[in-house]
Amino acid sequence: MRVLAGVLATVAAMGIGVYLAAALDALAGRVVGRGRLAVGETLALPARRGLGLLLRPRARTERPDAEAWALAPAALAGLAAVGLASIPLAPGLSVADVSSGIVLFGAAMALVMVAVFLQGWAPNSVHPMIAGYRFVAQALSYEMPLALVLIGAALPAESLSVGAIVESQAHLWNAIRQPLGMPLFLIAVAGLAFWGPLALPEGEDLVGGTSAEVSGAARLTWKVARLMVLVAGAAMTAAVFLGGWHGPWLPGPAWSILKTLAVLALLVWARHRLARVPIERFVWVSWVVLIPLALLDVFLAGAQALWAAP
Amino acid sequence: MGLRSWAAGVASGAPTPAFVVAGAGGRWAAEELFLEPRVAPTLSPRAADALIVVGYLTEGLMPAVMLAHDQIPPPRLAFQWLPDGAPDDPLAAMLPGVRVVEGGGLVEVIRDAHAGLLAGRGGGHEDAWPDVDPAPWRGIGPYGQGGKGMTGGVPYGRPLTGRADDRDGLKLDRLDVRVGPLFPAFPPGLELIVGLQGDVAQEVSVGQNPFEGALEDDVFRRALREAVPIAELEMARARSHLRWLAGALRVAGLPSLGRRVLSLAVRAKPADADRVSRLGRPLARGRGLRWLAGGVGALREDLGGPVGRAAGHVSDARSGVDEYRALGFEPVTHEGGDALARWRQRVAEAEQSLRLADAAGDATVGPPDVVEGPRGPLGAGPLLELLPDVLVGMEWGDLVTTVVSLDLDLEEAAVGAGVRA
Repeated sequence: MRVLAGVLATVAAMGIGVYLAAALDALAGRVVGRGRLAVGETLALPARRGLGLLLRPRARTERPDAEAWALAPAALAGLAAVGLASIPLAPGLSVADVSSGIVLFGAAMALVMVAVFLQGWAPNSVHPMIAGYRFVAQALSYEMPLALVLIGAALPAESLSVGAIVESQAHLWNAIRQPLGMPLFLIAVAGLAFWGPLALPEGEDLVGGTSAEVSGAARLTWKVARLMVLVAGAAMTAAVFLGGWHGPWLPGPAWSILKTLAVLALLVWARHRLARVPIERFVWVSWVVLIPLALLDVFLAGAQALWAAP
Repeated sequence: MGLRSWAAGVASGAPTPAFVVAGAGGRWAAEELFLEPRVAPTLSPRAADALIVVGYLTEGLMPAVMLAHDQIPPPRLAFQWLPDGAPDDPLAAMLPGVRVVEGGGLVEVIRDAHAGLLAGRGGGHEDAWPDVDPAPWRGIGPYGQGGKGMTGGVPYGRPLTGRADDRDGLKLDRLDVRVGPLFPAFPPGLELIVGLQGDVAQEVSVGQNPFEGALEDDVFRRALREAVPIAELEMARARSHLRWLAGALRVAGLPSLGRRVLSLAVRAKPADADRVSRLGRPLARGRGLRWLAGGVGALREDLGGPVGRAAGHVSDARSGVDEYRALGFEPVTHEGGDALARWRQRVAEAEQSLRLADAAGDATVGPPDVVEGPRGPLGAGPLLELLPDVLVGMEWGDLVTTVVSLDLDLEEAAVGAGVRA
């Protein structure tokens, strides 16, 4: 029963989260672009666009790797679902708050690289292929900080379970206890969902890269899968750094959802205000600055944990 | 059928995704489609439901336009828009089912046809350039990969990937690709033939300019022949720089900011100098732009125009003109000559031009010997020839940033200082 409730809550959270992320993005585009701000109309836009894509045929390229092309969006969506499944919205309300939750999340997110590379490789076309290779370089750069700051967050909880990490923040959020953690994790999430300044495999300089050759339902599934990764990343940020379900007055799940939405709003804002970072500079910054900072984060968290130990 | 027509009704409320091609004389009208909320210009034809050709097609553009048309998944729509409603374009007839719209009313025509397309009515399936082998393939080997001569060796004119030395002396796969003339990040008509190893351009050459001697008579060209108001000249320069900024922001991954700058470019008045400075300065100084464009594509020679001034060369045809000196004109310059300096240079010049237009009042300037256009002295076009040397060895993203930062105009390059007869 508990598991069924968790599955339903996770599916609902994913569906609503993806739609709200798309709607927030459309709204931010209107605000930043000084377009006509018709809120109702803008909120309906993702549904209209999605239906429009469903009514259009799929494009065919010359000699594509058809199996890989069909697999890529499904793999990306599946990995995002696995990631979200490890995050409880309230005590016990998750699909699988396993004892090694952050390891499961990290393992699923490491395979995002394979899904995006397949999407770039499969259409047998130049720009998507460059995009696929670009993402491999990008993923190798953000994955280390992603994993390291999660380890840092696990130290005060003395557990790898996401639920236990949330529980350890009852009095003090990790965002404050480990000030380096959340900014590094947010950069990694933007890289993971190839979003905003790190939308390198979807860049305008590659005419959309991984989505340059897709149309119709295939385009819709790819866009939805990418937003699913973004939502999973935002939900993990809320759980691991912003205290998850902890908060006054409101019930626990409401806090989890509100915090996730706040992180999504921050990521959407970044997309409309920050220019794309070139891949060479991102790789450089990542290895020279971000990874050492993530290591420092782990050392500081470890020292704090030792100090606090009885 | 009920479900389909309901879905089509809902879907037709979203903007029409369209691949927009700027033909001869159509560049700015095509740009302004980005301000139209009912049309969504797409990056690739695959994402589009319709093709919109703005302006006239040329022989040079035709093959690429036909391919783009065929890459839109069928059923598809095709339009040609001639904003000033001039005579018909015989080349457009080569696109099956193309509808020619003259003057206003383009968006209504598109919206109508798009609602029909989503409901399953209308839209063409016919290709402009059917994908039929020109001759039987005579390749040999297990995958038909070998052979020589006609239709053996180079499959239908497309070279296979070979291996070549890279910059570190390793042997790596090398891919020869043609990018353009419809590549949305490049100026319309620019085609580059690039030898890519990974995403590094090992060899670059510039393709044929698809535009021929045809250019609208704008204020800069009129200034060569007759006295024109300084305010008009400077407003045109500011608009040109702001339109460039809007396009550059779009390529930098900031389409919504680009839209804001574009609407400012269209509506700019001399009194808008402060707005431009508020919008442009944080952009030009921000860290994001420094990462994107800093140290990229440096050109230190005196190439005239904003590109030369961004490298610290005080060369501006306006500084020799008495009417400008009376307004206290001093050329703005920047140091470095890289893409970042060129961004900053154009933002500063747009602001300066608006202030000059404000100060000039009704003053006119007689035909000077040389007119400083938004891209430097009219008739000078050395940048296109410099491209291969500048771009070789760059990572693809930097290459695109560099090309964008040069603000090339291939129609202008095709005619020099001439105008349409």
